[in-house]
Amino acid sequence: MKRMGFKESLFILPAIVLIAIFSLWPIFKVINYSIFDYQLNDQQKSKLSMEEKFNVDLFMENSDYVGMFLDMNRDSFPEDVQVKVDEVINDVNSFKELLSGKSGFIELSGNLKKQVNDNFNKLSLEVDFFIKNYDFPDRENLRLVMEDMNKCYVRSNFIGLEGYYNALKDERVQDALTHTVVFTIISVFFELVLGLGLALIMNKAMKGQGFIRAISLIPWAIPTTVAALMWGYLYDGSSGIIAYILQTLHILGDSRDMLLTGGGAMASAILADVWKTTPYMALLILAGFQTIPGALYESAKVDGSGIFNTFFKITLPLLKPSILVALLMRTLDAFRVFDLIYVLTGGGPGGSTETMSIYAYKTMFQQTNFGYGSIVVILMVICVAIIAAFYIKILGANVMERD
Amino acid sequence: MGKKSYKLKTLVFTVVALYLIVIIFPFIWVLLASFKPTQEIFGEGAFRLISANPTFENYTNVLHNGILQAMWNSFVVASITSIYVVLVATLAAYAITRFKFRGKNLLLGLILAVSMFPQMIIVGPIYNLFMNLNLTNSYFVVLPYSTITLPVAVFILVTHFNKIPVALEEAATIDGATSLQILAKIVFRLAAPGIFTTAIIVFIAAWNEFLLTVTLNTNKAYHTVPVAISFLRTQFTILWGDVTAATVIVTIPTLIIVLLFQKQIVSGLTSGAVKE
Repeated sequence: MKRMGFKESLFILPAIVLIAIFSLWPIFKVINYSIFDYQLNDQQKSKLSMEEKFNVDLFMENSDYVGMFLDMNRDSFPEDVQVKVDEVINDVNSFKELLSGKSGFIELSGNLKKQVNDNFNKLSLEVDFFIKNYDFPDRENLRLVMEDMNKCYVRSNFIGLEGYYNALKDERVQDALTHTVVFTIISVFFELVLGLGLALIMNKAMKGQGFIRAISLIPWAIPTTVAALMWGYLYDGSSGIIAYILQTLHILGDSRDMLLTGGGAMASAILADVWKTTPYMALLILAGFQTIPGALYESAKVDGSGIFNTFFKITLPLLKPSILVALLMRTLDAFRVFDLIYVLTGGGPGGSTETMSIYAYKTMFQQTNFGYGSIVVILMVICVAIIAAFYIKILGANVMERD
Repeated sequence: MGKKSYKLKTLVFTVVALYLIVIIFPFIWVLLASFKPTQEIFGEGAFRLISANPTFENYTNVLHNGILQAMWNSFVVASITSIYVVLVATLAAYAITRFKFRGKNLLLGLILAVSMFPQMIIVGPIYNLFMNLNLTNSYFVVLPYSTITLPVAVFILVTHFNKIPVALEEAATIDGATSLQILAKIVFRLAAPGIFTTAIIVFIAAWNEFLLTVTLNTNKAYHTVPVAISFLRTQFTILWGDVTAATVIVTIPTLIIVLLFQKQIVSGLTSGAVKE
């Protein structure tokens, strides 16, 4: 084999660039998001900032108003409070002095950070106290000014591992994990058993293998969202044929239970997934079958081995690598399930089919909470890594030896 | 012996027939329902096999609803993705199978890892990136598609390149051909079936992609088939008539691809998974 020189390294460069930009960089970014309280639609939290920032111009403008309103309304306060009002006006002025000579957005650090923080907290507390407890003409105006004032202090939204701590305590995360695991185990179990059985039988079918294969590919090849909607129609409480059949057979009490109860919705999702991927599983295992030399079976037959004996002693051990690879791919796919459930049930009813992906997606794109959504995704990745490590350990070097 | 094999044959036939019916049934049912007028889809006629008053109403509805635009978009993004991903993957797979270099196992491990992690992890940062660069609602969505398609493409191609004997290439090297010439004139031709297989697998994967498109391309003009279909289900009403007609229409291209290229697809699916 040739050593790679500079020219040859250009061959792998495009692949590396694509992987770096669209796979590796986002992963680091997500880890970065996860240690911030990062929410897109919240002005104070829409950037990842380690340092505290202060908008001096906005502060100067608002503090002028605060001073003015307090001064103008001084007489409306009870007499014993008026001294307090004067004190606050003084506080406002000394705060302004502290920042005199500065303008625009300044970064707070060291001593100044502490002073601004103290002054700011003190001032908001005092003014809020007035607004809450006393009635004066410009009460509403002062409230609005203070609201605006809060925007000039952009605090760091760095939260470290706090988000992870919250996520681990979050019942919705636990539920989502449970739903994901239930969905994965049940659907993969059925897909494997049915797939293995079908592969055994397809292998025996002499005629029409091409036809069977082509039909088997259809559920795999159509977009998952199309399959989900199609099944949604079949499950529909009032016009779905599957729901109707199940009701007629008394498996379901009411045809509407299919999508409108938690258990029914999960079963529906699993059934649709089994329908979509069992043929794919069967094809993978069938391909594994066809790599087993027929001579092995013939000699087993000559030695008087029965069907079951042959299956467990020859077929299964030789199939093990291809079954395990298929299982690994299916388990990971099922664990990441998104499209199917998103379109079929949307995670409902009442969150009973909400998987990790669905929860992560809702957190990120419906609540625009990228920080917390990232944490949910990372927890999911950790689970995926554990599953993968588990399989690869069983598989030994089988997966890595593919080249 | 004869009787036993006859029994076995009947069993095999029955199971296979049953299996095929289960696979096909939803499609047939949806196809039949797509010709029913709205009042037959709900209520009394819902479970009738053949519509009493067949109509094309559902089809005209969805055709006016932009389903053809969605199919065109899917075709465009799937084609662009197939072309550039196959090109990039061919170069990479060639280098992996033909050159010795440091970090090769690391690269393979990395590609394998990328194919395993949930796609959800890249969506947030990619969304921000696309917002900042003003790339949302465009065909640029094909670039992040590489995350789902590139690993598969590289693995299929590595398997195929490994099957091509190196002797020819060695002879060409002696004759003074450069690596690029060898790739273009020898490997590309010998591996053409493998490359074609890869292109089809990538095409289907890109055609079916949902998550990235639904987040990055919110504008209806850039919706692909999976996304456009998902929008037929709204919060309050589901127009089952439209859904059935749309399902029939968008299944046709997939059906054609599968029927034409089933051999290639199966070989592509299994060359990654089955050790030979």
